[in-house]
Amino acid sequence: MSVVSTGAAPRRSHSARTSGRPRRRRGSAASHAFLVLLTVAFLAPVLWAVLSSLKPPASIITDPLEFDPSTFSLDNYRAMFDDVPIASGFATTAVVLVVKGAITLFFAPLAGFAFAKYRFVGKNLIFGAVLLTLMLPTIVLIVPLLLQMKELGWVNTYQALILPGSVDAFAIFWMRQVIASVPDELLDAARVDGCGEFRIFVRIVVPVIRPGLAGLAVLTVMNIYNDFVWPVVVTTQESMQTLQVVLATLAQNITGNRIGADFATVWGELLAASSIALIPLLVIFILLQRHFINGILAGSVKG
Amino acid sequence: MTVTTREPTVTTRVARMRRPYGRNRRALRSRRLAPYAFVLPFVVLFLGFSVYPLVYTFRLSFTSWSGSGAARWVGWDNYTYLLTNAGFWSSLANSAVLWLLIVPAQLVVALLAAVLLNNAKLRMRGFYRTTALVPFVTPLVAMAQVWIVVFDTEYGAVNGALNLFGLPDVDWLTSTTWAKPTLALLFVWKTTGFAVVILLSGLQSIPASVYEAAELDGASRTRQLVSITVPLVRRVIMFLVVMQTLAVFQMFAEPFVVTDGGPYGSTTTAGLFLYNHISRSDLGTGAANSFLLVVLVMALSLLFVRLLRERE
Repeated sequence: MSVVSTGAAPRRSHSARTSGRPRRRRGSAASHAFLVLLTVAFLAPVLWAVLSSLKPPASIITDPLEFDPSTFSLDNYRAMFDDVPIASGFATTAVVLVVKGAITLFFAPLAGFAFAKYRFVGKNLIFGAVLLTLMLPTIVLIVPLLLQMKELGWVNTYQALILPGSVDAFAIFWMRQVIASVPDELLDAARVDGCGEFRIFVRIVVPVIRPGLAGLAVLTVMNIYNDFVWPVVVTTQESMQTLQVVLATLAQNITGNRIGADFATVWGELLAASSIALIPLLVIFILLQRHFINGILAGSVKG
Repeated sequence: MTVTTREPTVTTRVARMRRPYGRNRRALRSRRLAPYAFVLPFVVLFLGFSVYPLVYTFRLSFTSWSGSGAARWVGWDNYTYLLTNAGFWSSLANSAVLWLLIVPAQLVVALLAAVLLNNAKLRMRGFYRTTALVPFVTPLVAMAQVWIVVFDTEYGAVNGALNLFGLPDVDWLTSTTWAKPTLALLFVWKTTGFAVVILLSGLQSIPASVYEAAELDGASRTRQLVSITVPLVRRVIMFLVVMQTLAVFQMFAEPFVVTDGGPYGSTTTAGLFLYNHISRSDLGTGAANSFLLVVLVMALSLLFVRLLRERE
């Protein structure tokens, strides 16, 4: 079990470890079996959903385990776009994602920088507030937040979808860990050159922590995209519903119409909607996965 | 000009010679004020959207209010109503059962996977690590719907597969026995990959020499796992358990979408029960329920932190 960096280690160990080999082999066959099993379990529901969404509705029900590529079509997607306001769901989510994501990705590292690299009166108190926010269940604040939105006249607005929780506590916590590893010498050298504090952040800190930021970006995009509890409460107009809310009402229509004649059609549309909803995140994740994983690894080792 | 304010962090010789703040009073002041400006956005949002609602909830929990008109002060009535209400207790019990179904099993599986993936020589390591995170990045609501379809008694793929092996249909989502495990499976499926990566981050900080020494002493693989790995990553495990406990007791979207709390309330979780007050416009009771839930969740978190610390 070595933790050596992936570079030169394997070559060296090849010859050096011959004595331990038989046991290692056996262990590795069993471990591959275990990991393959897990991988299948992780991928199967997603693959099943995407492939089934391409099938004719009737066969989703009659032969859930058979996939005949010659029958694949985008009919379910066409029907779904006609029946469900999914385009407006995507549009709302996109706006929220861009604005809220930008706020989080700018202000959370900034606050993390303050907590990691400055000493100031009230620092512990304010950091305590960050931790408290981390511990507080979202759902607990929903009643008063909703009333607050009503008072402000913000129900069914972008402000309501964006502002609460936009400077995410977990993001601050994480960025504090990441920025703590930036050498103080770098910051002081910049000060000597007459750099202002904010410019130090932009010019020195941000470039150094770029991998961590990429990780945070993936996590933030994911959280905002998947957010459900708050949007479902604060949006009542169809045009302001985020993608997840649109998807959820679709699901409830089905459970409501269990005995409906077009059961198969609804399932087909449902799977089409679900598949299309997971594609953007999968693409972002696959593109940035290395940064994301390394970001998590870098951020929590010092835990 | 006072020179006493120099920070001890200044270590480079150049910096020491030039005295960063010796000449520039404005730079010093900006350095004093900068952190406040940096945390200000968080503080403003925290006061506006966390503290204010919390105080509001607390006040609301002693009233009876439907969201319009005047709130009526009812003292501790909401709390006594909830604490003597069977539905409230069964929602907590449902969440507790879900916790038991989810957290221990997930921890074992994730730890095992993380230990295996921590081996730098493992083939396809990157592939396994990436696929483990696929469920984590899928939208929960979308997958909750896939669950409805896949676990349908009559037409679902899972029962279809069971039938292939000559096994009878199972009422995954429509029987009180299976509804909880089926929801638990969704939660485990969705979050295990993240647990694996978090555990991996802890494992990577264990020096290889520790294992080499154990191997010389003839400790078996299992023995190494129990006596070295687990104790050394206890803090990470603790972090995970607390995080998952918070998540399970807040679980809302899964039962809301998949089962709507049924059958017979068997999947009405603490979070969904709380939401039901809100959807019935029973806001005072909802607020009281919120506070009871906060207290419970924080107590549980502290308990786990305590339990896992004491063994050290």
